[in-house]
Amino acid sequence: MKKVIGKTLSAALALAMTVSIAACGSGNQSESSSSSSAANTSSAATTTTVASGDPVKLSLWHIQTTEPMTSNVKADIDRFAKDNPKYSVDVQVMQNDAYKTKLKIALSSNTAPDIFFSWTGGSMNEYVDADKIVDLTPYMDKDNYKDRFMDAGINQATYKDKIWGVPVENTSVAMFFYNKDLFAKYNLQVPKTIKELETVCDTLKKNGIIPFSLANKTQWTGSMYYMYLANRIGGADAFKNAAARTGSFEDESFKQAGTIIQDWVKKDYFNKGFNGLDEDSGQSRTLLYTEKAAMTLMGSWFLSTAAGENKDFMKKVGSFAFPAAEGGKGEPDAVVGTVGDNFYHIAKTCKDPEGAFKAIQYMIDDTAVAKRIEAGRVPPVKGVKVSDPLLQNVLDAVQKAPSVQLWYDQYLSPELSDLHKSTTQALFGLSKTPDQVDKEMEAKAKELAAKK
Amino acid sequence: MQATRSLSEYRKRSTLTATTVFLLPVFFFILIFIIYPIIDSFWLSLHEWNGITSGKAFLGLENWKTLLGDKIFFKAFLNNMIIVVLSIAIQLPIAMAIAFLLDTGGKKLNFLKMIYFLPMLMSSVAVGFLFKYTYDPQFGLISAVDTMLGGQGMVDVLGDPHRAIFGVIAVICWQFIPFYMVYFLAALSSLPVEIYEASIIDGASHSQYFWRVALPSMKGTIKSAAVLSLVGSLKYFDLIYVMTQGGPDGATELMATYMYKNAFTIGKMGYGATVASGMFIIITVISLVTLRVINGKEEA
Repeated sequence: MKKVIGKTLSAALALAMTVSIAACGSGNQSESSSSSSAANTSSAATTTTVASGDPVKLSLWHIQTTEPMTSNVKADIDRFAKDNPKYSVDVQVMQNDAYKTKLKIALSSNTAPDIFFSWTGGSMNEYVDADKIVDLTPYMDKDNYKDRFMDAGINQATYKDKIWGVPVENTSVAMFFYNKDLFAKYNLQVPKTIKELETVCDTLKKNGIIPFSLANKTQWTGSMYYMYLANRIGGADAFKNAAARTGSFEDESFKQAGTIIQDWVKKDYFNKGFNGLDEDSGQSRTLLYTEKAAMTLMGSWFLSTAAGENKDFMKKVGSFAFPAAEGGKGEPDAVVGTVGDNFYHIAKTCKDPEGAFKAIQYMIDDTAVAKRIEAGRVPPVKGVKVSDPLLQNVLDAVQKAPSVQLWYDQYLSPELSDLHKSTTQALFGLSKTPDQVDKEMEAKAKELAAKK
Repeated sequence: MQATRSLSEYRKRSTLTATTVFLLPVFFFILIFIIYPIIDSFWLSLHEWNGITSGKAFLGLENWKTLLGDKIFFKAFLNNMIIVVLSIAIQLPIAMAIAFLLDTGGKKLNFLKMIYFLPMLMSSVAVGFLFKYTYDPQFGLISAVDTMLGGQGMVDVLGDPHRAIFGVIAVICWQFIPFYMVYFLAALSSLPVEIYEASIIDGASHSQYFWRVALPSMKGTIKSAAVLSLVGSLKYFDLIYVMTQGGPDGATELMATYMYKNAFTIGKMGYGATVASGMFIIITVISLVTLRVINGKEEA
């Protein structure tokens, strides 16, 4: 008898010890979200006012956790609630990753906030296909409101010929940021072609300077080099067609992009050990600040991040667009990035989409735009004026761009995007050949297309 | 006679009521937070679901078939096994050695006990960040030491697919040795002083006392420590997630990180649940077998 009890007990013990894995995923995510919500209850702005008409409560989630952006959003919404006393808005701020998980769960259980955002691309399309967000076309067409925005922004928010989101936050495109002092010291000119870029790199290498700083544990960082190379070599359509299944990921341009990257890695153009470094903890920027590296290919948020971390360094920073490929099909002015960054949607479960849309408009009206510019952002509206020359560069790049390629990892469906990121990392790590990578991408794209 | 029986019966009955009343709430919570999620995970593993749509598509055993042929899952399982073996082989002996030294040192070494325990008090995320910087090939401690010793510096640990897993295991050991140290310390100090005195009087040396007396009498503690370490290593998640996210290119993928990636990053909830259920089965089987092997002799 005792033995039986002992056995049952030990079995139960083993079970009890293992079961926590079942809760592991959700446990982890509730931990992160609870920590962020704890930090945010204080910043949650609830504005209640007595009003004519039935009071309406709206909820809004965003991820602008850094000041002054947190206060800016709050101020926008407060102005909305003041002008429209019928409404009260519950604003919740959370961290990027917590937001993604929380939103996913909220959407699946139909408890999503009335107003939330996505980065468009694959995830937005998923919300549309799952019938979770409201078609904003009628609102955007009313009084030609959509003409307020840069065309590329509206394009980005369009899926199946309808507009689903309002571009609000920022225009960021990837460009090279470089140390002007180092370039002057070694008599280097801003390169116009990839060949010139390689000459610059060789000179820097000779003088013991790392040409490119890269932290690629984060994966999307290395992807930027890949996206631009593919874009310059094969043109914007090569990727668009591959993603839409009218083309192929085994296209020659992807192979060439991969080959150039591996060539650069072999020539030590990048700092050592980049695949283990974390962009989010600034491990690539440290190399620039200490002048061990001269350039980095990064989204234009680099400017505000670096300004916050190292003001002195900003005096030395210059920027240039990704150089043209000799004989490539791509237009040299095309950019990779996002025109809007955070695109606000209205949930299908929202009881008052009209009011919700009005609230979103307050986040991108003239006052809001001015405040965002002040905070070093480039709001995606036409006719923005910025005073900072580096920001002006970003703006110029977007305005003269014949096409804006959204980041692959946001453009593609989550599954394909994950494969793109990990295969690019393997490409950089020289553990897979360009051919292998393209084959894997093509196979997965086919498999996913077949399911639809 | 009659009276005593009814009294004992009465007592039995009241004890039963009391235990039931006390155990019910616990059972209730276990039911909701453990039993139900497990069953639901298994149920979910038979479906395809992206986590957003309200409807799930029933797939039958399709996900399980994929899991059986999934090379990444197999690789993740192997990585878990590496962690299991190295954790037990490194953590337990070192922890035991430290515990024995601290125990023989007595009160003088109390401050060392405090210091050695510190890593256990830090959150895994903080530890992960700390070592991310330590391993930085340009600015990190490891590279600096290498340069001091006449090397080239630039030691790449986390970015190298062959080294990354060992880099993380070193940190796991750093973090968990203190836990087993305390565990063994408690066991050592609960050994009766008389045994120690008796063996010394009998002419045993310190090392003889340790190997022949203390160690055998701590068999039970060591066993449960090994099982704890085994299960902990099989479901390991946090440091890998913070330090490498399973990279570079899947070199440090674990079953748990793979499950997380599928369920929450890629949005394949159904397959994520399959991985979780697969883990559940694997871990349960391994634990039960281990327990049986360990306890085999006594029970037979």
